[in-house]
Amino acid sequence: MGSSSGDLRYELSQNAYIKLVLHSLNHPTSSVNGVLIGRISPSNDAVLIDDAVPLFHSHLGLLPQLEISLPLIEEYFSAKGLNIVGYFHANERSDDYELGGVAKNIGDHICRYFPQAAILLLDNKKLEALKKSKDRSAVTQLYVRDASKNWKLVQSEGNSRFSLREPSANLILLDYISTEKWKGIVDFDDHLDDISKDWLNPGLFN
Amino acid sequence: MVTKTEENQLNRLESQVDNAGGGAWEYLCLVRKLKLRRSDKVLNHGLSILNNPSKRSALGPEEWTLYEQVAVAAMDCQSLDVAKDCIKVLRKKFPDSKRVGRLEALLLEAKGSWELAEKAYSSLLEDNPLDQTIHKRRVAMAKAQGNIPGAIEWLNKYLEIFMADHDAWRELAEIYVSLQMYKQAAFCYEELILSQPTVPLYHLAYADVLYTLGGLENLQTAKKYYTSTIDLTGGKNTRALFGVCLCTSAITQVTKGKSKEEKEGSQVQSLAAKMLEKDYKQRAPDKLPQLTTALKSLTLTS
Repeated sequence: MGSSSGDLRYELSQNAYIKLVLHSLNHPTSSVNGVLIGRISPSNDAVLIDDAVPLFHSHLGLLPQLEISLPLIEEYFSAKGLNIVGYFHANERSDDYELGGVAKNIGDHICRYFPQAAILLLDNKKLEALKKSKDRSAVTQLYVRDASKNWKLVQSEGNSRFSLREPSANLILLDYISTEKWKGIVDFDDHLDDISKDWLNPGLFN
Repeated sequence: MVTKTEENQLNRLESQVDNAGGGAWEYLCLVRKLKLRRSDKVLNHGLSILNNPSKRSALGPEEWTLYEQVAVAAMDCQSLDVAKDCIKVLRKKFPDSKRVGRLEALLLEAKGSWELAEKAYSSLLEDNPLDQTIHKRRVAMAKAQGNIPGAIEWLNKYLEIFMADHDAWRELAEIYVSLQMYKQAAFCYEELILSQPTVPLYHLAYADVLYTLGGLENLQTAKKYYTSTIDLTGGKNTRALFGVCLCTSAITQVTKGKSKEEKEGSQVQSLAAKMLEKDYKQRAPDKLPQLTTALKSLTLTS
């Protein structure tokens, strides 16, 4: 068995990161969520988050849409050797830093299939400050489950447990924001409203 | 709620105006009519008209409506100086107006001056106790400050008086869902279905909430409402088709196959599954393999 969540590092790829933040920007007045896609590193000491799928921007607390989307997404990625390894959540209000019940429940559900799953919560203040701060760290907070299966915030200062894979990710993100790239993002809600819309967002980074 | 035709018309106009093809005023009128929230566009295009003296005078008396629309959009985009200027113009033109008073209170809200805004709204309500907009602002302020129980309380009080306000029922339902208070959310959708029984959106939302609540009775009712959604939408609603499949599978799991409705149930389910597969084959063929696998595993458990 690999190391417990107490030791694991979490590494977020640029593509996954940008997709999730752009999704939040596309729906500035609602809470949004998504799943993280990835694998355990060959050295067994990290969870590598290679991709992400934006899920919903309304009624996040309802089960049917979740029970439709997760199997479809898992099925697609398992063919590529990847799994759902975590959950992303952005709260409705910009000053809300609480990890709510809905987020925890979905996180717990994902942990049943991938015990080392993590939750990323959007940090709105950091996102807002990004233009001026030139900060290289991600505008998200990392939560993992402790031994009693409670979700705990992993402190971000000087954090070696959570990193962006590509150091220039924030620069790319800012560039995408300035060109309003969030407009093209398709989430699972959009797909269910019109199945010709692709939740893989294939053309996003061209 | 906006129809598909209206949405298409709006998007067409929007891209036309964005690409400097004219039609800004038409676009702004449509946004106002449909009560949509496109504040960055409204601010942008509205200001371009207001800052152009000849365009502005061409509007005639509608000029003031535009000032109001741009003021609200500016507040939504946190361009508070623009909002202040617009409100000043309106105040000069209409010195005793309560409508302008509402905008001034809204500006206090936008600044985060909650107590001052609350005072302003209270005094406006004294003169006009049945002003729906102001009552709703109270709910919005509670929500903005993170006081969700307060928002629920205000919204319930509001609905006691204005029980025909469908948007308010929907808002309340959504707040309940976000707090995982599904029984209360179900009640809201029941009210909506009672007053507007042919709107498929409410049947669908109600079914979703019942499914989330779980338990045999709720699952059976949810299935009925997914089916009625399919009826009302001519079988075109993907969520309802999926919903039927999920319900049938869940019901079988709960009753462990002892239910008599099983045969009937699986007929509806296989019909829904067929419709989904047909639709995916036509419009999303690259997603068909995953769909087939997922549906198979749902039918295997039923």
